[in-house]
Amino acid sequence: MSDATTEVPETEGHGHQDNGGEETAETSSARDERIAYRGVFARLLVRPEIGAIIAAMAIWAFFWSVSDVFGLTPGTASILDVASTLGIMAVAVALLMIGGEFDLSSGAATGAFGILTLLLVRDFTGDMGGYGLSLWVALPVSLAIALGLGWVNGTMVNRTALPSFIVTLGTFFIIRGAKLGFSKLIVDQIQVGKMDDLALNASARGGDKGYGFFQPIFAAEWQRNSHVWEGRDILYTTGCLVGIGLIGLAVFELRFARKEHMNPTGLIAFAAGVAGMVAGVLYLHNTDGVSGNAVGAIIIGLSILITGFGLARWRYQPLADRGAVAWSGAWITEFGLGLGALVLALVSALVFDKDNSETMLILVTEQGMRAILFVGLGGAGAVLLLMAANGAGRTSQLMRSVILFVTAVATAGFSFFIRSQSASVKFRSEVFSVMLVLAAVIATWAIVTAVFGERRHPDTAADHLGGRLAIAGGLLFAVGVTTRLLFATQADIDAGAPPAVFSVRTLWFILFAAVCSLVLAKTAFGSWTFAVGGNKEAARQIGVPAARTKTQLFMVVSLAAWLVGTLLAFRLNTIQAGTGNGLEFEYIIAAVVGGTALTGGYGSTFGAAIGAIIMAMSVQGIPASRWNSDWRFVFLGGILLVAVIANNFIRAKAEATR
Amino acid sequence: MSETPLLELTDIGKYYGNIIALRHVTTHVNAGEVTCVLGDNGAGKSTFIKILSGVHQHDEGTFKLEGEEVRFESPREALDRGIAAVYQDLAMVPLMSVWRNFFLGSEPKKGSWPLQWIDTKSAKRVAKEEMAKMGIDIRDTEQPVGTLSGGERQSVAIARAVHFGAKVLILDEPTSALGVKQSGVVLRYIVEAAKRGLGVIFITHNPAHAYPVGDRFLILNRGHSMGNFAKDEIDQNELTRLMAGGSELEELQAELSQAISGV
Repeated sequence: MSDATTEVPETEGHGHQDNGGEETAETSSARDERIAYRGVFARLLVRPEIGAIIAAMAIWAFFWSVSDVFGLTPGTASILDVASTLGIMAVAVALLMIGGEFDLSSGAATGAFGILTLLLVRDFTGDMGGYGLSLWVALPVSLAIALGLGWVNGTMVNRTALPSFIVTLGTFFIIRGAKLGFSKLIVDQIQVGKMDDLALNASARGGDKGYGFFQPIFAAEWQRNSHVWEGRDILYTTGCLVGIGLIGLAVFELRFARKEHMNPTGLIAFAAGVAGMVAGVLYLHNTDGVSGNAVGAIIIGLSILITGFGLARWRYQPLADRGAVAWSGAWITEFGLGLGALVLALVSALVFDKDNSETMLILVTEQGMRAILFVGLGGAGAVLLLMAANGAGRTSQLMRSVILFVTAVATAGFSFFIRSQSASVKFRSEVFSVMLVLAAVIATWAIVTAVFGERRHPDTAADHLGGRLAIAGGLLFAVGVTTRLLFATQADIDAGAPPAVFSVRTLWFILFAAVCSLVLAKTAFGSWTFAVGGNKEAARQIGVPAARTKTQLFMVVSLAAWLVGTLLAFRLNTIQAGTGNGLEFEYIIAAVVGGTALTGGYGSTFGAAIGAIIMAMSVQGIPASRWNSDWRFVFLGGILLVAVIANNFIRAKAEATR
Repeated sequence: MSETPLLELTDIGKYYGNIIALRHVTTHVNAGEVTCVLGDNGAGKSTFIKILSGVHQHDEGTFKLEGEEVRFESPREALDRGIAAVYQDLAMVPLMSVWRNFFLGSEPKKGSWPLQWIDTKSAKRVAKEEMAKMGIDIRDTEQPVGTLSGGERQSVAIARAVHFGAKVLILDEPTSALGVKQSGVVLRYIVEAAKRGLGVIFITHNPAHAYPVGDRFLILNRGHSMGNFAKDEIDQNELTRLMAGGSELEELQAELSQAISGV
């Protein structure tokens, strides 16, 4: 208590909003007392893409737990494959939407530029026509025409001042008709092929017209099963675990206030805890995953508690004021509902027969129903408990910790329930271990936040260290997961691992999304994009070339359509005249799910990429869960509605709590 | 005034087809002084500032900037010559952060094309410093402009114009949407800007706001100039009478005493 600085007791969130008329312009010397310090977490929570990230994790966890094949490497490969072409377009469309416009021609354009390239390189005469150009010429020509389409769209929207919705609806129909018309006119078919004829006829013609050069760029594939690497699991395990550990350190560094004098006892406990975790992981590693996992997970769980507490004890200041419990409000209801949902989950698991695979209620089998109810109710219960903890924590840190601790105990109890009751090996092994470790993490957080104080002042050094740790952790985790996806071990092959094929288009997707995100965040063009979407007249008055910016945004979309069309042409070799038609709304959905506002001026390209992955997960997850995939659009529509509502909420918060 | 005025307008006129929007308007602006343009709704104030800021072009008369006759084809051109307009709707993007708004259209860059980034750090620092010079402590330059109060938004716009080397600052009804106290704050920024050597054109329909800060008054009514006075040639009652025929005199006087005490 003695070394606690004079902390301002937490009042209602960050609610120190100014209210217009009471404002004065007095210069205050030190920090402004009107705003509470907003920690990194509060700032992260109002990012536009945060909803999409949480949704992606929840949907992944849901499909992973109710399906046997979802989340395995082949499934992940196909999710990434679907997400790549969708995502390239979604990112470009999000950029355009932030700039305040729509492009309904974007879907049809993807197929159109694929067909255009094919028509330019085909060298059959007569009924089976084509222009016989080299790819070295055809690709730049179709790219130039693509950029021309973007320029036309943009210029028409600027000149006519009509809504882009209607202008691009026009170009959509023109492209759609032109695709069919030209295909029939030139090739006399409703499809245009074939790209790989260039290779087949190469010897007769004395050259493959660049096919050998471009094919790997646009359609190289990586067969996991032909890349055997025994070191994979070491890199995977250490990468993921060290990555998560670093992120944990980052969370502590960002959340708690540093002490002036470090406590060496804490450091010893921290080191002991880390050693315990390593021992637990090694123990788990040497068991078959099911029989010994209770011991292993308990060792790890206890070590996490010791590590977390030791770390906090070592570096951070104790909490000065735990606050008073307010025994009223929404949190009590949420707490009750949460516990109720958990009980219902247990009841449903006991009522439904886990061995009955007969179909009930049209869509699912009884065992499937059991899994869905159990996972859904359990998840809902956990979310309600966390909401209750958050609500109670507004006035009392102690109450927040108590509810979190209850959540941790419930999670642990559920993990043992699953271990004894589940029909699925996956649930008895992996889900059990993960849940038990999660319970330990929640319990640690509950205890540590009850004892140590939240940082309420800026600390650049801590923010930097925390940020670096988080980035390093994230990278290590990504490296670990990527290694796991890309390589097989001999044991996998012997066990008959299904083939998993990764396409280079995923790299294009990552590259395109990264470039667009950087441009949006870091360049003047990015600022102008937000400005022309947020308030075009204002932007123009202050000297932003508004019309040019919008035209360039349309050109980015048609550039993306060209890229996707080319990827399709090299993948499919033959492109149907109808390819891409109607997909423009899926791009818009992905962008909106990713947090982009339909009204313009607000959004995230990174979010749009996540949105594309969410949609690809539903494409993969619904059949993987053995539901009829005819219902996919019901699911998509539902996601869209939930996303729009959630994002509206986030945006309102973003505008209010700053 | 023996020196050349910063801005000198002689017999300016503007027609929209057969509608006479402005006719025989004459005034001037000196560096370090505030010229107030007063008029009721429809008096031609908006047309007047649109001519000054390059949105529209005048049809008759002469428009001299530092003694040189000019005719701006675009707002950008006027801006480049040092005439910055702060419009009623503020030319701000509400969802964008303060620093992005501050530098919108003139972002500080580092690196060379195509790897040319906004120099975020210095942009944030400069925005904060420039605001502080105007006497405003902006809390967090990352906060969206939409969350600022009306007076603060005006101050961002004024500080922005001053920072980008404006010689003439045109303020279009900056106090019209504000409460009494906020108006006082904005009037103080106007005086502050003039003290820093800018010529300020302050458009308003409120003589109580104009008289305390103005050095020269141009009164417009239905497109005609009702007179162009230095401060010592006219008092506030006369100003009010000329402009609005004394209709709202009582309320304005009440408001006046408060606004002056705020300055």
